[in-house]
Amino acid sequence: MRSQDEIVAARNADWRELETLVSRAEALHHLDGPSISRAAALYRALSGDLVLCRARCTPDLVAYLDNLAGRAHSALYGAEPFRLPAFGSLLTRDFPRALRKNASFFALSTALFLIPCAIGIVLALFVPDAASQILPRSMLDGMADMYSKGFDEGRGEGADSAMAGFYVRNNVGIAFRCFATGIFFGLGSVFYLIYNGLNIGMVTGWVTAAGFGRNIGTFMCGHGPFELTAIVVAGAAGLRMGHSLVVTQGRTRLGSLRESAPDIVHLVVGAAVMLLLAAGIEGFWSPSAAPPPVKWAVATLFSLLVTAYFLFAGRERARTP
Amino acid sequence: MAEPARRLQPIDTTAEIETPEHVRFHYPVAGPARRVVAWALDWLLRGAVLLVFAIIAVMGGLAIGDAVSGLSTGFLLVILFLLEWGYYTLWEVAWNGRTPGKRALDLRVVTVHGHPLRIGDSFLRNLLRAADFLPLGYAVGLVAMARDSRFRRLGDMVAGTMVIVEERRAVASTLRIDPPPTPKELASLPQRLPLSGDELEAIELFLRRKEGLGPAREEELAAMVAPLFASRMGLRNKDSARLLALLHARASERRRPL
Repeated sequence: MRSQDEIVAARNADWRELETLVSRAEALHHLDGPSISRAAALYRALSGDLVLCRARCTPDLVAYLDNLAGRAHSALYGAEPFRLPAFGSLLTRDFPRALRKNASFFALSTALFLIPCAIGIVLALFVPDAASQILPRSMLDGMADMYSKGFDEGRGEGADSAMAGFYVRNNVGIAFRCFATGIFFGLGSVFYLIYNGLNIGMVTGWVTAAGFGRNIGTFMCGHGPFELTAIVVAGAAGLRMGHSLVVTQGRTRLGSLRESAPDIVHLVVGAAVMLLLAAGIEGFWSPSAAPPPVKWAVATLFSLLVTAYFLFAGRERARTP
Repeated sequence: MAEPARRLQPIDTTAEIETPEHVRFHYPVAGPARRVVAWALDWLLRGAVLLVFAIIAVMGGLAIGDAVSGLSTGFLLVILFLLEWGYYTLWEVAWNGRTPGKRALDLRVVTVHGHPLRIGDSFLRNLLRAADFLPLGYAVGLVAMARDSRFRRLGDMVAGTMVIVEERRAVASTLRIDPPPTPKELASLPQRLPLSGDELEAIELFLRRKEGLGPAREEELAAMVAPLFASRMGLRNKDSARLLALLHARASERRRPL
Protein backbone atom coordinates (compact mmCIF):
# COMPACT_ATOMS: atom_id res chain seq x y z
CA MET A 1 0.00 0.00 0.00
CA ARG A 2 1.52 3.30 -1.11
CA SER A 3 0.90 6.59 0.56
CA GLN A 4 0.06 9.77 -1.31
CA ASP A 5 3.61 11.09 -0.92
CA GLU A 6 4.99 7.95 -2.48
CA ILE A 7 2.55 8.10 -5.38
CA VAL A 8 3.47 11.72 -6.02
CA ALA A 9 7.18 10.96 -5.75
CA ALA A 10 6.89 8.10 -8.24
CA ARG A 11 4.69 9.80 -10.79
CA ASN A 12 5.41 13.50 -10.51
CA ALA A 13 8.10 13.50 -13.21
CA ASP A 14 5.67 12.06 -15.74
CA TRP A 15 2.97 14.55 -14.78
CA ARG A 16 5.38 17.45 -15.18
CA GLU A 17 6.46 16.16 -18.56
CA LEU A 18 2.87 15.92 -19.76
CA GLU A 19 2.18 19.38 -18.41
CA THR A 20 5.08 20.82 -20.39
CA LEU A 21 3.97 19.05 -23.56
CA VAL A 22 0.41 20.25 -23.13
CA SER A 23 1.29 23.86 -22.42
CA ARG A 24 3.89 24.01 -25.19
CA ALA A 25 1.19 24.13 -27.86
CA GLU A 26 -2.47 25.07 -27.91
CA ALA A 27 -3.05 22.03 -30.07
CA LEU A 28 -0.65 19.16 -30.24
CA HIS A 29 -0.49 19.10 -34.03
CA HIS A 30 2.19 21.74 -33.64
CA LEU A 31 4.45 19.17 -32.00
CA ASP A 32 6.56 16.53 -33.73
CA GLY A 33 5.48 12.89 -33.97
CA PRO A 34 7.50 11.44 -31.07
CA SER A 35 6.25 14.18 -28.73
CA ILE A 36 2.66 13.46 -29.65
CA SER A 37 2.94 9.74 -29.03
CA ARG A 38 4.82 10.45 -25.80
CA ALA A 39 1.99 12.78 -24.73
CA ALA A 40 -0.58 10.13 -25.62
CA ALA A 41 1.28 7.51 -23.56
CA LEU A 42 1.59 9.86 -20.60
CA TYR A 43 -2.10 10.70 -20.87
CA ARG A 44 -3.07 7.02 -20.72
CA ALA A 45 -0.80 6.47 -17.75
CA LEU A 46 -2.37 9.50 -16.11
CA SER A 47 -5.80 7.92 -16.37
CA GLY A 48 -4.53 5.02 -14.29
CA ASP A 49 -3.12 7.42 -11.71
CA LEU A 50 -6.50 9.13 -11.57
CA VAL A 51 -8.33 5.94 -10.70
CA LEU A 52 -5.78 5.17 -7.99
CA CYS A 53 -5.73 8.67 -6.56
CA ARG A 54 -9.48 9.09 -6.54
CA ALA A 55 -9.62 6.18 -4.10
CA ARG A 56 -6.58 7.17 -2.02
CA CYS A 57 -5.60 10.79 -2.27
CA THR A 58 -6.83 14.15 -1.15
CA PRO A 59 -9.17 16.27 -3.25
CA ASP A 60 -6.50 18.81 -4.18
CA LEU A 61 -4.29 16.18 -5.81
CA VAL A 62 -7.29 14.64 -7.57
CA ALA A 63 -8.28 18.11 -8.79
CA TYR A 64 -4.78 18.67 -10.12
CA LEU A 65 -4.89 15.37 -12.02
CA ASP A 66 -8.43 15.99 -13.29
CA ASN A 67 -7.30 19.35 -14.59
CA LEU A 68 -4.22 17.90 -16.25
CA ALA A 69 -6.28 15.12 -17.83
CA GLY A 70 -8.78 17.66 -19.14
CA ARG A 71 -6.08 19.82 -20.65
CA ALA A 72 -4.28 16.85 -22.18
CA HIS A 73 -7.58 15.59 -23.56
CA SER A 74 -8.45 18.87 -25.22
CA ALA A 75 -4.91 19.26 -26.57
CA LEU A 76 -4.72 15.71 -27.92
CA TYR A 77 -8.10 15.90 -29.59
CA GLY A 78 -7.76 19.59 -30.53
CA ALA A 79 -10.73 21.29 -32.15
CA GLU A 80 -11.27 20.66 -35.79
CA PRO A 81 -10.00 23.77 -37.42
CA PHE A 82 -12.37 25.49 -39.81
CA ARG A 83 -12.38 23.49 -43.02
CA LEU A 84 -13.47 25.03 -46.30
CA PRO A 85 -14.54 21.75 -47.97
CA ALA A 86 -17.02 21.13 -45.14
CA PHE A 87 -18.52 24.54 -45.78
CA GLY A 88 -18.64 23.82 -49.51
CA SER A 89 -20.46 20.53 -49.03
CA LEU A 90 -22.85 22.27 -46.67
CA LEU A 91 -23.91 24.58 -49.48
CA THR A 92 -23.89 22.02 -52.30
CA ARG A 93 -25.45 19.16 -50.36
CA ASP A 94 -26.37 19.42 -46.69
CA PHE A 95 -28.44 22.60 -46.76
CA PRO A 96 -30.81 21.70 -49.63
CA ARG A 97 -31.08 18.17 -48.23
CA ALA A 98 -32.00 19.41 -44.79
CA LEU A 99 -34.59 21.70 -46.35
CA ARG A 100 -36.20 18.89 -48.33
CA LYS A 101 -36.20 16.71 -45.25
CA ASN A 102 -38.00 19.45 -43.34
CA ALA A 103 -40.31 20.46 -46.18
CA SER A 104 -43.36 20.46 -43.92
CA PHE A 105 -41.76 23.00 -41.58
CA PHE A 106 -40.77 25.08 -44.58
CA ALA A 107 -44.35 24.99 -45.85
CA LEU A 108 -45.73 25.96 -42.45
CA SER A 109 -43.18 28.73 -42.10
CA THR A 110 -44.03 30.05 -45.58
CA ALA A 111 -47.73 30.09 -44.71
CA LEU A 112 -47.07 31.87 -41.41
CA PHE A 113 -45.16 34.52 -43.33
CA LEU A 114 -47.14 34.91 -46.56
CA ILE A 115 -50.70 34.89 -45.18
CA PRO A 116 -50.10 37.82 -42.79
CA CYS A 117 -48.19 39.50 -45.60
CA ALA A 118 -51.21 39.22 -47.92
CA ILE A 119 -53.52 40.38 -45.13
CA GLY A 120 -51.22 43.35 -44.57
CA ILE A 121 -51.31 44.33 -48.23
CA VAL A 122 -55.09 44.01 -48.43
CA LEU A 123 -55.62 45.96 -45.20
CA ALA A 124 -53.29 48.76 -46.24
CA LEU A 125 -54.87 48.98 -49.69
CA PHE A 126 -58.56 48.67 -48.95
CA VAL A 127 -59.16 49.56 -45.32
CA PRO A 128 -58.59 53.26 -44.81
CA ASP A 129 -56.15 54.01 -42.01
CA ALA A 130 -55.64 50.37 -41.06
CA ALA A 131 -51.89 50.58 -41.64
CA SER A 132 -51.46 53.87 -39.82
CA GLN A 133 -53.33 52.41 -36.83
CA ILE A 134 -50.70 49.71 -36.50
CA LEU A 135 -47.43 51.19 -37.78
CA PRO A 136 -46.19 54.67 -36.95
CA ARG A 137 -47.40 57.20 -39.52
CA SER A 138 -44.00 58.84 -39.82
CA MET A 139 -42.34 55.55 -40.73
CA LEU A 140 -44.99 54.81 -43.39
CA ASP A 141 -44.67 58.25 -44.91
CA GLY A 142 -40.91 57.91 -44.87
CA MET A 143 -41.23 54.66 -46.79
CA ALA A 144 -43.64 56.19 -49.33
CA ASP A 145 -41.29 59.13 -49.74
CA MET A 146 -38.32 56.82 -50.21
CA TYR A 147 -40.00 54.97 -53.06
CA SER A 148 -41.59 58.05 -54.63
CA LYS A 149 -38.51 58.94 -56.66
CA GLY A 150 -38.00 55.65 -58.37
CA PHE A 151 -34.59 54.42 -59.38
CA ASP A 152 -34.07 55.97 -62.79
CA GLU A 153 -30.95 57.67 -61.46
CA GLY A 154 -29.62 54.87 -59.29
CA ARG A 155 -28.56 55.83 -55.79
CA GLY A 156 -24.82 56.52 -55.84
CA GLU A 157 -22.11 54.15 -54.67
CA GLY A 158 -21.61 55.65 -51.20
CA ALA A 159 -25.29 55.32 -50.33
CA ASP A 160 -25.32 51.84 -51.86
CA SER A 161 -22.53 50.59 -49.58
CA ALA A 162 -24.07 52.18 -46.52
CA MET A 163 -27.39 50.52 -47.27
CA ALA A 164 -25.75 47.16 -48.01
CA GLY A 165 -24.13 47.32 -44.56
CA PHE A 166 -27.46 48.23 -43.04
CA TYR A 167 -29.22 45.32 -44.75
CA VAL A 168 -26.57 42.84 -43.65
CA ARG A 169 -26.89 43.85 -40.02
CA ASN A 170 -30.64 44.37 -39.95
CA ASN A 171 -31.91 41.50 -42.05
CA VAL A 172 -29.54 38.82 -40.84
CA GLY A 173 -30.44 39.92 -37.30
CA ILE A 174 -34.15 39.53 -38.09
CA ALA A 175 -33.61 36.06 -39.51
CA PHE A 176 -31.36 34.90 -36.64
CA ARG A 177 -33.85 36.12 -34.03
CA CYS A 178 -36.65 34.47 -35.98
CA PHE A 179 -34.71 31.23 -35.62
CA ALA A 180 -33.35 31.56 -32.08
CA THR A 181 -36.67 32.35 -30.43
CA GLY A 182 -37.94 29.02 -31.78
CA ILE A 183 -36.38 27.54 -28.64
CA PHE A 184 -39.53 28.67 -26.80
CA PHE A 185 -41.44 25.70 -28.19
CA GLY A 186 -41.53 27.35 -31.61
CA LEU A 187 -43.65 30.25 -30.37
CA GLY A 188 -40.99 32.90 -30.97
CA SER A 189 -40.57 31.84 -34.58
CA VAL A 190 -44.34 31.86 -35.09
CA PHE A 191 -44.50 35.37 -33.64
CA TYR A 192 -41.62 36.80 -35.68
CA LEU A 193 -42.84 35.21 -38.93
CA ILE A 194 -46.32 36.68 -38.53
CA TYR A 195 -44.98 40.01 -37.28
CA ASN A 196 -42.47 40.44 -40.11
CA GLY A 197 -44.97 39.20 -42.73
CA LEU A 198 -47.61 41.65 -41.56
CA ASN A 199 -45.08 44.48 -41.41
CA ILE A 200 -43.68 43.93 -44.88
CA GLY A 201 -47.18 43.47 -46.30
CA MET A 202 -48.47 46.69 -44.76
CA VAL A 203 -45.52 48.76 -45.93
CA THR A 204 -45.86 47.36 -49.44
CA GLY A 205 -49.59 48.02 -49.42
CA TRP A 206 -49.15 51.55 -48.06
CA VAL A 207 -46.52 52.51 -50.61
CA THR A 208 -48.70 51.02 -53.37
CA ALA A 209 -51.73 52.93 -52.13
CA ALA A 210 -49.62 56.09 -52.23
CA GLY A 211 -49.08 55.38 -55.94
CA PHE A 212 -45.53 54.06 -55.98
CA GLY A 213 -46.29 50.36 -56.27
CA ARG A 214 -44.22 50.04 -59.41
CA ASN A 215 -41.16 51.40 -57.65
CA ILE A 216 -41.32 49.21 -54.56
CA GLY A 217 -42.07 46.22 -56.77
CA THR A 218 -39.00 46.69 -58.96
CA PHE A 219 -36.96 47.34 -55.83
CA MET A 220 -38.04 44.25 -53.91
CA CYS A 221 -38.20 41.74 -56.74
CA GLY A 222 -34.40 41.46 -57.06
CA HIS A 223 -33.40 40.43 -53.56
CA GLY A 224 -36.81 39.09 -52.50
CA PRO A 225 -36.16 35.54 -53.76
CA PHE A 226 -33.13 35.33 -51.50
CA GLU A 227 -34.06 37.51 -48.55
CA LEU A 228 -37.68 36.56 -47.96
CA THR A 229 -36.92 32.90 -48.62
CA ALA A 230 -34.01 33.00 -46.16
CA ILE A 231 -36.19 34.51 -43.43
CA VAL A 232 -38.74 31.75 -44.05
CA VAL A 233 -35.95 29.12 -43.94
CA ALA A 234 -34.68 30.51 -40.62
CA GLY A 235 -38.25 30.45 -39.34
CA ALA A 236 -38.56 26.82 -40.48
CA ALA A 237 -35.39 25.97 -38.52
CA GLY A 238 -36.90 27.63 -35.45
CA LEU A 239 -40.15 25.68 -35.88
CA ARG A 240 -38.17 22.45 -36.26
CA MET A 241 -36.34 23.21 -33.03
CA GLY A 242 -39.60 23.99 -31.21
CA HIS A 243 -41.24 20.87 -32.62
CA SER A 244 -38.43 18.64 -31.37
CA LEU A 245 -39.08 19.99 -27.86
CA VAL A 246 -42.80 19.23 -28.05
CA VAL A 247 -42.83 15.92 -29.96
CA THR A 248 -39.99 14.03 -28.34
CA GLN A 249 -40.77 10.51 -29.62
CA GLY A 250 -39.87 8.93 -26.33
CA ARG A 251 -36.59 10.78 -25.85
CA THR A 252 -35.89 13.35 -23.23
CA ARG A 253 -36.63 16.89 -24.42
CA LEU A 254 -32.94 17.61 -24.50
CA GLY A 255 -32.12 14.40 -26.36
CA SER A 256 -34.79 15.14 -28.91
CA LEU A 257 -33.44 18.67 -29.32
CA ARG A 258 -29.92 17.33 -29.85
CA GLU A 259 -31.25 14.94 -32.45
CA SER A 260 -32.49 17.87 -34.51
CA ALA A 261 -29.32 19.94 -34.10
CA PRO A 262 -27.51 18.95 -37.35
CA ASP A 263 -30.57 19.81 -39.45
CA ILE A 264 -30.96 23.08 -37.60
CA VAL A 265 -27.33 24.07 -38.17
CA HIS A 266 -27.54 23.27 -41.88
CA LEU A 267 -30.72 25.29 -42.29
CA VAL A 268 -29.50 28.32 -40.38
CA VAL A 269 -26.07 28.49 -42.00
CA GLY A 270 -27.75 28.13 -45.40
CA ALA A 271 -30.16 30.93 -44.54
CA ALA A 272 -27.28 33.12 -43.37
CA VAL A 273 -25.44 32.67 -46.67
CA MET A 274 -28.61 33.51 -48.61
CA LEU A 275 -29.04 36.64 -46.52
CA LEU A 276 -25.50 37.80 -47.24
CA LEU A 277 -26.20 37.32 -50.96
CA ALA A 278 -29.47 39.18 -50.56
CA ALA A 279 -27.77 42.10 -48.79
CA GLY A 280 -25.33 42.49 -51.65
CA ILE A 281 -28.13 42.45 -54.21
CA GLU A 282 -30.31 44.75 -52.12
CA GLY A 283 -27.50 47.21 -51.68
CA PHE A 284 -26.21 47.35 -55.22
CA TRP A 285 -28.61 45.83 -57.75
CA SER A 286 -32.11 46.55 -56.41
CA PRO A 287 -31.71 50.36 -56.34
CA SER A 288 -29.82 50.46 -59.64
CA ALA A 289 -31.10 52.32 -62.67
CA ALA A 290 -31.76 49.16 -64.71
CA PRO A 291 -35.15 49.34 -66.46
CA PRO A 292 -38.01 47.54 -64.69
CA PRO A 293 -38.43 44.79 -67.31
CA VAL A 294 -34.79 43.80 -66.83
CA LYS A 295 -35.23 43.78 -63.05
CA TRP A 296 -38.30 41.58 -63.31
CA ALA A 297 -36.53 39.23 -65.70
CA VAL A 298 -33.57 38.92 -63.35
CA ALA A 299 -35.93 38.37 -60.42
CA THR A 300 -37.62 35.54 -62.30
CA LEU A 301 -34.23 34.02 -63.02
CA PHE A 302 -33.24 34.31 -59.33
CA SER A 303 -36.49 32.66 -58.24
CA LEU A 304 -35.99 29.79 -60.66
CA LEU A 305 -32.40 29.38 -59.46
CA VAL A 306 -33.40 29.22 -55.81
CA THR A 307 -36.24 26.80 -56.58
CA ALA A 308 -34.00 24.55 -58.66
CA TYR A 309 -31.32 24.66 -55.97
CA PHE A 310 -33.75 23.64 -53.24
CA LEU A 311 -35.27 20.91 -55.38
CA PHE A 312 -32.22 19.32 -56.96
CA ALA A 313 -28.96 20.25 -55.22
CA GLY A 314 -27.40 17.39 -53.27
CA ARG A 315 -29.61 14.63 -54.59
CA GLU A 316 -27.85 11.28 -54.95
CA ARG A 317 -26.93 10.52 -58.50
CA ALA A 318 -28.75 7.52 -59.95
CA ARG A 319 -26.50 4.53 -59.34
CA THR A 320 -25.42 2.66 -62.44
CA PRO A 321 -25.58 -1.08 -61.87
CA MET B 1 -25.88 11.37 -29.81
CA ALA B 2 -27.60 10.28 -26.63
CA GLU B 3 -27.02 11.98 -23.31
CA PRO B 4 -24.78 9.95 -20.97
CA ALA B 5 -26.85 7.67 -18.80
CA ARG B 6 -27.74 9.09 -15.41
CA ARG B 7 -25.59 7.64 -12.71
CA LEU B 8 -24.78 8.74 -9.22
CA GLN B 9 -22.99 12.01 -9.51
CA PRO B 10 -21.07 13.79 -6.80
CA ILE B 11 -23.01 16.63 -5.17
CA ASP B 12 -20.85 19.42 -6.50
CA THR B 13 -20.45 21.40 -9.68
CA THR B 14 -18.31 18.99 -11.64
CA ALA B 15 -19.11 17.07 -14.77
CA GLU B 16 -17.72 13.58 -15.25
CA ILE B 17 -16.29 12.81 -18.66
CA GLU B 18 -15.67 9.34 -19.94
CA THR B 19 -13.63 9.32 -23.12
CA PRO B 20 -13.81 6.55 -25.75
CA GLU B 21 -10.60 5.05 -24.34
CA HIS B 22 -12.36 4.85 -20.96
CA VAL B 23 -10.35 7.59 -19.38
CA ARG B 24 -12.51 9.21 -16.76
CA PHE B 25 -11.99 12.64 -15.34
CA HIS B 26 -13.96 15.50 -13.90
CA TYR B 27 -14.31 19.05 -15.10
CA PRO B 28 -15.36 21.78 -12.71
CA VAL B 29 -18.32 23.53 -14.38
CA ALA B 30 -18.24 27.32 -14.59
CA GLY B 31 -20.94 29.16 -12.70
CA PRO B 32 -22.90 32.22 -13.80
CA ALA B 33 -20.78 34.80 -11.91
CA ARG B 34 -17.57 33.83 -13.63
CA ARG B 35 -19.25 33.68 -17.01
CA VAL B 36 -20.78 37.10 -16.55
CA VAL B 37 -17.32 38.58 -15.90
CA ALA B 38 -15.93 36.84 -18.99
CA TRP B 39 -18.88 38.15 -20.99
CA ALA B 40 -18.26 41.69 -19.75
CA LEU B 41 -14.59 41.50 -20.78
CA ASP B 42 -15.57 40.32 -24.24
CA TRP B 43 -18.16 43.07 -24.45
CA LEU B 44 -15.53 45.69 -23.65
CA LEU B 45 -13.17 44.22 -26.22
CA ARG B 46 -15.89 44.28 -28.86
CA GLY B 47 -16.55 47.90 -28.01
CA ALA B 48 -12.86 48.72 -28.33
CA VAL B 49 -12.59 47.01 -31.72
CA LEU B 50 -15.64 48.91 -32.97
CA LEU B 51 -14.12 52.15 -31.71
CA VAL B 52 -10.88 51.50 -33.56
CA PHE B 53 -12.73 50.84 -36.79
CA ALA B 54 -14.93 53.90 -36.25
CA ILE B 55 -11.80 56.04 -35.89
CA ILE B 56 -10.31 54.52 -39.05
CA ALA B 57 -13.58 55.16 -40.89
CA VAL B 58 -13.82 58.78 -39.75
CA MET B 59 -10.16 59.48 -40.52
CA GLY B 60 -10.64 57.88 -43.94
CA GLY B 61 -13.72 60.01 -44.50
CA LEU B 62 -11.82 63.18 -43.55
CA ALA B 63 -8.81 62.32 -45.66
CA ILE B 64 -10.55 61.27 -48.84
CA GLY B 65 -13.71 63.29 -48.60
CA ASP B 66 -17.45 62.78 -48.54
CA ALA B 67 -17.45 60.25 -51.34
CA VAL B 68 -16.41 57.51 -48.93
CA SER B 69 -18.70 58.45 -46.04
CA GLY B 70 -21.39 56.07 -47.25
CA LEU B 71 -18.78 53.42 -47.87
CA SER B 72 -17.37 53.79 -44.38
CA THR B 73 -20.86 53.69 -42.82
CA GLY B 74 -21.53 50.47 -44.67
CA PHE B 75 -18.15 49.15 -43.61
CA LEU B 76 -18.83 50.00 -39.95
CA LEU B 77 -22.23 48.33 -40.06
CA VAL B 78 -20.65 45.18 -41.47
CA ILE B 79 -18.04 45.27 -38.67
CA LEU B 80 -20.85 45.71 -36.14
CA PHE B 81 -22.65 42.76 -37.67
CA LEU B 82 -19.52 40.60 -37.46
CA LEU B 83 -18.94 41.62 -33.85
CA GLU B 84 -22.55 40.85 -32.92
CA TRP B 85 -22.92 37.47 -34.58
CA GLY B 86 -19.41 36.29 -35.43
CA TYR B 87 -17.15 37.35 -32.56
CA TYR B 88 -17.78 34.37 -30.31
CA THR B 89 -17.78 31.73 -33.02
CA LEU B 90 -14.58 33.06 -34.61
CA TRP B 91 -12.71 32.98 -31.30
CA GLU B 92 -14.15 29.72 -30.08
CA VAL B 93 -13.17 27.95 -33.28
CA ALA B 94 -9.73 29.53 -33.53
CA TRP B 95 -8.90 29.10 -29.85
CA ASN B 96 -10.45 25.73 -29.04
CA GLY B 97 -13.50 26.95 -27.11
CA ARG B 98 -12.15 30.17 -25.71
CA THR B 99 -12.70 33.86 -26.30
CA PRO B 100 -10.30 36.43 -24.80
CA GLY B 101 -12.74 36.96 -21.91
CA LYS B 102 -13.01 33.24 -21.28
CA ARG B 103 -9.26 32.84 -21.47
CA ALA B 104 -8.72 35.57 -18.92
CA LEU B 105 -10.99 33.69 -16.50
CA ASP B 106 -9.68 30.20 -17.34
CA LEU B 107 -12.93 29.16 -18.99
CA ARG B 108 -13.34 26.86 -21.97
CA VAL B 109 -16.35 25.63 -23.90
CA VAL B 110 -16.40 21.89 -24.51
CA THR B 111 -19.14 19.49 -25.54
CA VAL B 112 -21.03 17.69 -22.78
CA HIS B 113 -18.95 14.65 -23.67
CA GLY B 114 -15.77 16.58 -23.02
CA HIS B 115 -14.77 16.86 -26.65
CA PRO B 116 -13.50 20.09 -28.14
CA LEU B 117 -16.37 21.90 -29.77
CA ARG B 118 -16.76 22.06 -33.54
CA ILE B 119 -17.75 25.04 -35.63
CA GLY B 120 -21.40 23.96 -35.88
CA ASP B 121 -21.71 23.66 -32.09
CA SER B 122 -20.15 27.05 -31.59
CA PHE B 123 -22.34 28.71 -34.22
CA LEU B 124 -25.50 27.24 -32.69
CA ARG B 125 -24.71 28.10 -29.07
CA ASN B 126 -23.86 31.66 -30.00
CA LEU B 127 -26.89 32.21 -32.25
CA LEU B 128 -29.08 31.18 -29.36
CA ARG B 129 -27.77 34.19 -27.43
CA ALA B 130 -30.64 35.98 -29.18
CA ALA B 131 -33.04 33.81 -27.14
CA ASP B 132 -30.96 33.64 -23.95
CA PHE B 133 -30.67 37.42 -23.90
CA LEU B 134 -34.44 37.94 -23.74
CA PRO B 135 -36.18 39.93 -22.41
CA LEU B 136 -32.99 41.75 -21.47
CA GLY B 137 -29.63 41.13 -19.84
CA TYR B 138 -29.57 37.34 -20.46
CA ALA B 139 -32.51 36.84 -18.09
CA VAL B 140 -33.68 33.68 -19.85
CA GLY B 141 -30.14 32.32 -19.96
CA LEU B 142 -29.60 32.88 -16.24
CA VAL B 143 -32.87 31.17 -15.33
CA ALA B 144 -31.93 28.22 -17.54
CA MET B 145 -28.51 28.05 -15.88
CA ALA B 146 -30.02 28.10 -12.42
CA ARG B 147 -32.15 25.09 -13.27
CA ASP B 148 -29.41 23.02 -14.88
CA SER B 149 -26.86 20.96 -12.98
CA ARG B 150 -24.14 21.95 -15.43
CA PHE B 151 -25.09 25.65 -15.58
CA ARG B 152 -26.01 25.51 -19.23
CA ARG B 153 -27.92 28.30 -20.90
CA LEU B 154 -30.36 27.50 -23.72
CA GLY B 155 -27.63 27.87 -26.35
CA ASP B 156 -25.47 25.32 -24.55
CA MET B 157 -28.38 22.89 -24.35
CA VAL B 158 -29.17 23.12 -28.05
CA ALA B 159 -25.53 22.82 -29.08
CA GLY B 160 -24.71 20.15 -26.46
CA THR B 161 -21.96 22.20 -24.86
CA MET B 162 -20.95 23.37 -21.40
CA VAL B 163 -18.46 25.87 -20.03
CA ILE B 164 -15.76 24.48 -17.77
CA VAL B 165 -13.10 25.98 -15.51
CA GLU B 166 -9.54 25.17 -16.43
CA GLU B 167 -7.45 26.65 -13.68
CA ARG B 168 -3.90 25.40 -13.40
CA ARG B 169 -3.23 23.73 -10.12
CA ALA B 170 -0.12 22.61 -8.31
CA VAL B 171 0.79 19.10 -7.23
CA ALA B 172 0.00 18.46 -3.58
CA SER B 173 3.09 18.99 -1.46
CA THR B 174 4.63 16.38 0.78
CA LEU B 175 3.04 15.96 4.13
CA ARG B 176 5.04 17.48 6.98
CA ILE B 177 4.21 17.43 10.63
CA ASP B 178 4.58 20.76 12.34
CA PRO B 179 6.15 20.95 14.91
CA PRO B 180 8.18 17.78 14.16
CA PRO B 181 7.52 14.91 16.57
CA THR B 182 9.88 14.94 19.57
CA PRO B 183 11.73 11.71 20.52
CA LYS B 184 9.74 11.70 23.75
CA GLU B 185 6.44 11.73 21.88
CA LEU B 186 7.60 8.99 19.51
CA ALA B 187 8.86 6.87 22.37
CA SER B 188 5.39 6.82 23.90
CA LEU B 189 4.00 5.10 20.79
CA PRO B 190 4.10 1.33 20.24
CA GLN B 191 6.74 0.10 17.74
CA ARG B 192 4.19 -1.74 15.60
CA LEU B 193 0.92 0.13 15.27
CA PRO B 194 -2.23 -1.94 15.60
CA LEU B 195 -3.80 -0.04 12.70
CA SER B 196 -5.20 -1.33 9.42
CA GLY B 197 -4.22 0.11 6.03
CA ASP B 198 -7.62 1.76 5.70
CA GLU B 199 -7.23 3.39 9.07
CA LEU B 200 -3.81 4.76 8.16
CA GLU B 201 -5.19 6.07 4.89
CA ALA B 202 -8.02 7.82 6.70
CA ILE B 203 -5.50 9.44 9.05
CA GLU B 204 -3.44 10.65 6.11
CA LEU B 205 -6.50 12.11 4.37
CA PHE B 206 -7.39 13.92 7.56
CA LEU B 207 -3.87 15.36 8.01
CA ARG B 208 -3.80 16.58 4.42
CA ARG B 209 -7.10 18.35 4.74
CA LYS B 210 -6.19 19.84 8.12
CA GLU B 211 -4.83 23.05 6.59
CA GLY B 212 -8.22 23.92 5.16
CA LEU B 213 -10.16 23.34 8.36
CA GLY B 214 -10.72 25.66 11.27
CA PRO B 215 -9.15 24.62 14.62
CA ALA B 216 -12.55 23.76 16.10
CA ARG B 217 -13.58 21.61 13.15
CA GLU B 218 -10.15 19.97 13.14
CA GLU B 219 -10.46 19.02 16.79
CA GLU B 220 -14.05 17.87 16.28
CA LEU B 221 -13.08 15.49 13.47
CA ALA B 222 -9.96 14.19 15.22
CA ALA B 223 -11.91 13.60 18.43
CA MET B 224 -14.18 11.18 16.57
CA VAL B 225 -11.45 8.59 16.07
CA ALA B 226 -8.39 9.49 18.18
CA PRO B 227 -9.89 8.23 21.50
CA LEU B 228 -10.60 4.85 19.87
CA PHE B 229 -6.99 4.49 18.76
CA ALA B 230 -5.73 5.77 22.11
CA SER B 231 -7.68 3.20 24.10
CA ARG B 232 -6.69 0.44 21.65
CA MET B 233 -3.01 1.24 22.30
CA GLY B 234 -3.35 2.17 25.93
CA LEU B 235 -2.22 5.76 25.35
CA ARG B 236 -3.26 8.96 27.05
CA ASN B 237 -5.11 11.23 24.64
CA LYS B 238 -4.55 14.92 25.35
CA ASP B 239 -4.63 16.38 21.86
CA SER B 240 -6.56 14.30 19.33
CA ALA B 241 -5.17 15.97 16.20
CA ARG B 242 -1.61 15.72 17.51
CA LEU B 243 -2.07 12.06 18.32
CA LEU B 244 -3.18 11.35 14.75
CA ALA B 245 -0.17 13.24 13.40
CA LEU B 246 2.16 11.20 15.61
CA LEU B 247 0.57 7.92 14.52
CA HIS B 248 1.11 8.93 10.91
CA ALA B 249 4.74 9.85 11.61
CA ARG B 250 5.40 6.47 13.18
CA ALA B 251 3.70 4.64 10.30
CA SER B 252 5.74 6.41 7.63
CA GLU B 253 8.90 5.96 9.71
CA ARG B 254 8.32 2.21 9.68
CA ARG B 255 7.57 2.18 5.97
CA ARG B 256 10.75 4.03 5.10
CA PRO B 257 13.44 2.98 7.54
CA LEU B 258 16.17 5.64 7.65
